[in-house]
Amino acid sequence: MLTSLFEFLFKYRPVVFQEGDFSLGVAGAVATGAVVASLIGLFALLTYLGVRGKTRPLDRLVLGGLRFAGLAVLAFCLLRPALVVSTVVPQQNFVGVLLDDSRSMEIQDYDDRSRGAFLQETFGTPDSPVLAALSDRFAVRYFRFSSRTERIEDFSEMSFMGSRTRLGPALERARSELASVPLSGLVLVTDGADNSGEELTDALMPLQAQGIPVYTVGVGEETFERDIQVSRADPPRTVLTGSSVVVDVVVTHTGYEGETVSLIVEDEGQIVSTEEVELPDEGQPVTVPVRFTASTPGARAYTFRIPVAVDEQVTQNNSQTALVSVEDRREKILYFEGEPRYEVGFLGRAVADDDNLQLVVLQRTAENKFLRLNVDDGEELQGGFPDTRAELYAYRSLVLGTVEASFFTGDQLQMIADFVDKRGGSLLALGGRNSFARGGYAGTPVADVLPVVFSDADARPDGYYARVRIEPTQAGLGVPALQLAGTEEESGARWSELPLLLTYNPLHRVKPGATPLLRGIAEDLPEEHVALAFQRYGAGKSLSLAVQDTWIWQMQLPLEDDTHETFWRQMLRWLVDGVPDQVTGQVPRDRVEPGESVALTAIVNDSSYLGMSNSVVEATVTTPLGEEVELGMDWAVDSNAGEYEADFTPSEEGLHTLTVRAYDGDDLIGVDEAYFQVAPQRSEYFDAGARAPLLERIANETGGISYTPETVATLPEDMRVTGAGVTLVEEMDLWDMPILLLLLLVLILGEWGYRRVRGLV
Amino acid sequence: MQQTGGGWRRGIAGVALGVAGISATAIAAGHQPDAIAGEAGIAAGAGIDETQQGRPLPAHEFYFTRAAYSSGGGGFRRWRRQSWATDYPKSDRQFLIVAERLTGLDMFMEEHPRTLTDEDLNRFPFLYALEVGGMSMTPEEAAALREYLLRGGFLVVDDFWGTYEWEIFEYEMQKVLPEYPIVDIPLEHEIFHTFYDIDEIIQVPNVNNGRRGWATHERDGYTPFVKGIFDEEGRLMVIINWNTDLGDAWEWAEDPYYPLRYSTYAIQMGVNFIIYAMSH
Repeated sequence: MLTSLFEFLFKYRPVVFQEGDFSLGVAGAVATGAVVASLIGLFALLTYLGVRGKTRPLDRLVLGGLRFAGLAVLAFCLLRPALVVSTVVPQQNFVGVLLDDSRSMEIQDYDDRSRGAFLQETFGTPDSPVLAALSDRFAVRYFRFSSRTERIEDFSEMSFMGSRTRLGPALERARSELASVPLSGLVLVTDGADNSGEELTDALMPLQAQGIPVYTVGVGEETFERDIQVSRADPPRTVLTGSSVVVDVVVTHTGYEGETVSLIVEDEGQIVSTEEVELPDEGQPVTVPVRFTASTPGARAYTFRIPVAVDEQVTQNNSQTALVSVEDRREKILYFEGEPRYEVGFLGRAVADDDNLQLVVLQRTAENKFLRLNVDDGEELQGGFPDTRAELYAYRSLVLGTVEASFFTGDQLQMIADFVDKRGGSLLALGGRNSFARGGYAGTPVADVLPVVFSDADARPDGYYARVRIEPTQAGLGVPALQLAGTEEESGARWSELPLLLTYNPLHRVKPGATPLLRGIAEDLPEEHVALAFQRYGAGKSLSLAVQDTWIWQMQLPLEDDTHETFWRQMLRWLVDGVPDQVTGQVPRDRVEPGESVALTAIVNDSSYLGMSNSVVEATVTTPLGEEVELGMDWAVDSNAGEYEADFTPSEEGLHTLTVRAYDGDDLIGVDEAYFQVAPQRSEYFDAGARAPLLERIANETGGISYTPETVATLPEDMRVTGAGVTLVEEMDLWDMPILLLLLLVLILGEWGYRRVRGLV
Repeated sequence: MQQTGGGWRRGIAGVALGVAGISATAIAAGHQPDAIAGEAGIAAGAGIDETQQGRPLPAHEFYFTRAAYSSGGGGFRRWRRQSWATDYPKSDRQFLIVAERLTGLDMFMEEHPRTLTDEDLNRFPFLYALEVGGMSMTPEEAAALREYLLRGGFLVVDDFWGTYEWEIFEYEMQKVLPEYPIVDIPLEHEIFHTFYDIDEIIQVPNVNNGRRGWATHERDGYTPFVKGIFDEEGRLMVIINWNTDLGDAWEWAEDPYYPLRYSTYAIQMGVNFIIYAMSH
């Protein structure tokens, strides 16, 4: 509206004034102007100075001023003022029009029609005024872009089926393709919902350097009126069969405050869990922990969805699907206990039925005398606690019972630390009379790994014990290993009913970055104990469970109560979860677009978990139809030691299996499998609101202009004066601007009116 | 199950050393327990129960808990006339001294009897019962013992002889675990090898027979047996030493006239029972 008024009064659009240089058409215009202005002023002054009669000095001043101003406007016009503008030469320049071909353009938020409908009527119809005006002035080249960018001949090639919006590569592709022709600018027509995760600056810099402006046309609403979105659901990539899984699902919404919806978890279409969610105030994401058991082995697609609500604008963002590799294999855990202790027997019994866990026990029953349980053969642990890395690293996790630090050699202590740090194993340190500071661990490498800070009291020999009530912290409530029942409420209630446990270790603080998960509360003792804490350390994780006798839960609770079994089963499964093998196959994403190249990786380590860059790695991708595609994997010099890569471009939709085999000479080091689903991406429907600020930034940084569907009509004209390419200098007269005529009329009428009022006529 | 470290000869030497140590230390002094309670930093109520001397029970990993079962008349307070209290408490104390010396175990070094219906019984997963030929459990006791064993408790039965006492014991166990049979435990079983390697079952005589070198048996119990009751998972819940008297061998280990061979064997068996109970 304001722009139209401006154009009416000043004859040209503001952009012309921004781009143009002011000039006067008469030669020696400045000097002439000064002389003329002086003469006019003198004439006006003399005219009124000579007048006497009824006039006061103020009247003469006002009338003289008005006349001077009127004459000055006339003089200004006589000087032939003009704007000198570089305008593009018609039909000698090119314009690249980049049309968003992604799925989000199907969202119906452009006057109740799809965003794509705007593209159709503005850039897809020959009789569109914008397109016609552009075509009059420029040679127009069309591109469609989504995950890829392609030249198209006409709008009929648009499909709005693209799985991603990648603005940067689209601009770069259009720029490079039109590099050999005079290019006036690029027109980017999109909702701006870039979901590539790529940095735009890299694409904008060459455009800035070459002076190519980008004109952006944004379509769509920035926020939806009514929409529910399952924003994130990240289950672990691999779990053991039968594991309890807790996934934090993030839900956002607009327009459904206070309503309760169901969050459903499906395993390949079968409902495995349902959680009721009360939606908070608009714009506030809510994190919903959902629990289920991964009971079927293999690659399983879990879907987390909320049924479509009434009046939802975007229905495709109500679910997330994630691939989980449910593995049915036996993981080896070493439990080293420094003295006869009931915990050994009860813990062993708690997980004895778990086919996926092998708890190998090494128990010191007397000085230099050891009992071995669940070993594979007579050789295993024959020499006591492992004294080589290869021997220790064969286990995925180490449970360290109560054994004094001086039992170990310095190298063994370092080895335990490296087990977590370098091998990526997990360490669970149990409380006891010879644990933590009480066992002399302060200052050892093992103390560095542990998540707790030793207190002075803990170091007092034989001086401390307390019976504590165990309860989860806020963080602990969300940890799968600590879920004792189906829901958070039931689980919390069950914790509160458990018998007290004994602790010999007054640990009260965790290290920075560590998380306390269980607290121990003793009556009459003011300070809480850290009963269970967790931290990531290097490539692995460490936990401290500073209690003596969880077996009390088994002995003191009713026979049918399985708290003890559940706790230990889940705890040990958590320990082995995510611990790498010597050979690991990796896929960057669990969902890949058909035709999209995906970088498959194999990590190969020797028995000490040092990267091996001289092994032979074979990779096979098995497609849904059973075809096996052999890939040679190479170690790239610039990659990490032991990291091998191969590219694969899937064509079939469905589940693909990557199998990697690594050899050291003729010896097989290991085999691993990873899975990925080939299917169209649905990320276009998530966070799909238009992003006007991003489009403004692109326009501003490249010297272009950003438009909306309402303002896009002026795009062709604006491009005429702001575009790059082959240009000519054009003088645009200003003397006939309506504003000048209006001003003159106002001044003349003003003078006349003043006379009338003052009675001087 | 595998063992490493000291062999059986060393083990026997260790037991002998331990047995010798008894006479030099504990027995002469009557083994006064240390004053353990009242440590700095102990939470109020940390003592989980009281000892027989009425002091708070200090925290230890292992308590040699003696089952104070009913045996026809009387009760816990009249223990001196009850069969459960045979050899009590000297046998317990002497065994504990040796067992502590031989293992790295954190033990409560006093006798520790509990009735089967004691509400805290389940805090002590190791239970020793002897002279079970005189056993006569109430239904409550049988139910409590059943729950105890199925949850994970371990019962060692000792010192009963002959067919008649066997029948009584068998009848009593029918009240407790009717669906679980009593079976022989072969010498290959882990319980004979968790700490010491036991290669044969020896009949351990009572003190009188042992000191005098008389026949080792009592009544018609000519052959010693080690039998057991297993749960569905194969865990040994009850070990039954029939026609043998380990308790007397512990009690009289310091007696120069009681043969060392029997004491050594009895202590080896006892240590194996404890280590098995704590690791299986």
